[in-house]
Amino acid sequence: MTARPTISPCIWYRDPKAAIAWLETAFGFEARMVVDDGQGGVMHSELWLRDGCVMVVGPPMDAAISPAMFGGRASQSVHVQLLEGLDEHCQRARAAGARIDREPATQAYGDRVYTCRDLEDHPWSFGQTLTQMTPDEMAKATGHAITSKA
Amino acid sequence: MPKISSALFYQDPRAALDFLQKAFGFEIAMLLEDADGNVAHSQLALGADHVMVGSEWSEDHKSPRSVGGKNTQTVHIQLEDDIDAHCERARAAGAEILAEPQTQFYGDRTYRCRDPEGHMWTLSQTVAVVSVADQEAATGLTYKVGA
Repeated sequence: MTARPTISPCIWYRDPKAAIAWLETAFGFEARMVVDDGQGGVMHSELWLRDGCVMVVGPPMDAAISPAMFGGRASQSVHVQLLEGLDEHCQRARAAGARIDREPATQAYGDRVYTCRDLEDHPWSFGQTLTQMTPDEMAKATGHAITSKA
Repeated sequence: MPKISSALFYQDPRAALDFLQKAFGFEIAMLLEDADGNVAHSQLALGADHVMVGSEWSEDHKSPRSVGGKNTQTVHIQLEDDIDAHCERARAAGAEILAEPQTQFYGDRTYRCRDPEGHMWTLSQTVAVVSVADQEAATGLTYKVGA
């Protein structure tokens, strides 16, 4: 099994089992571990896309909540950087029922990006680098001041 | 560029950048500022991965501080070593420790905390390798394990 990355988003769902199935269909994740809580919920899971991992858990407790129970609001989003096939990925997500917020578009900083909401309204963004830019080129293209250690 | 990263929304992204460097040891990999000096985008690196820190850029993208402390996602950080020292560093920087470092049945030592705007973070370090069969026996839970 791939070593877990340093950083993994842990995402709360009202119906985590439906979410796992949906994320596999819509975004191409692969569930490699699911820990059932014995009451219909999921205590822990690992969904992988290449060597990136998200954890799907629920139902929400304490300070956690799903956007589906919260007027569509979210405190974080997930960004996934793809190597290729961004437009096809968007079509696959749309076919599975994702709500596309921003259609695929090439950005001033050289990435092609789309954003969408999943089945419980969690926000996701997907990017694919088309043109690798230096920080100076990116500053010129975006009009923003850039500090970078890259 | 990491494959998957968390983007966190803050009322005061600049204060968050300071806190996350002090508390957790993140380093600014990239910071984009608009003409008024506001944070337009940032990437904070830890190991080979990063998180993005930004503002509340729409009515649907809110800091927990703006919505009664609620979190729709949390961030899990897997550390290589020294999780207890990491916790002390976070506490000294002003993190609210929700669960002190403790070794879990699955072989990780973990702590949980909340940052000044209410985002919740889980920090974890593997201290023992426990087989799935042993974890199931210890908890009575059912694991589904794939590839």
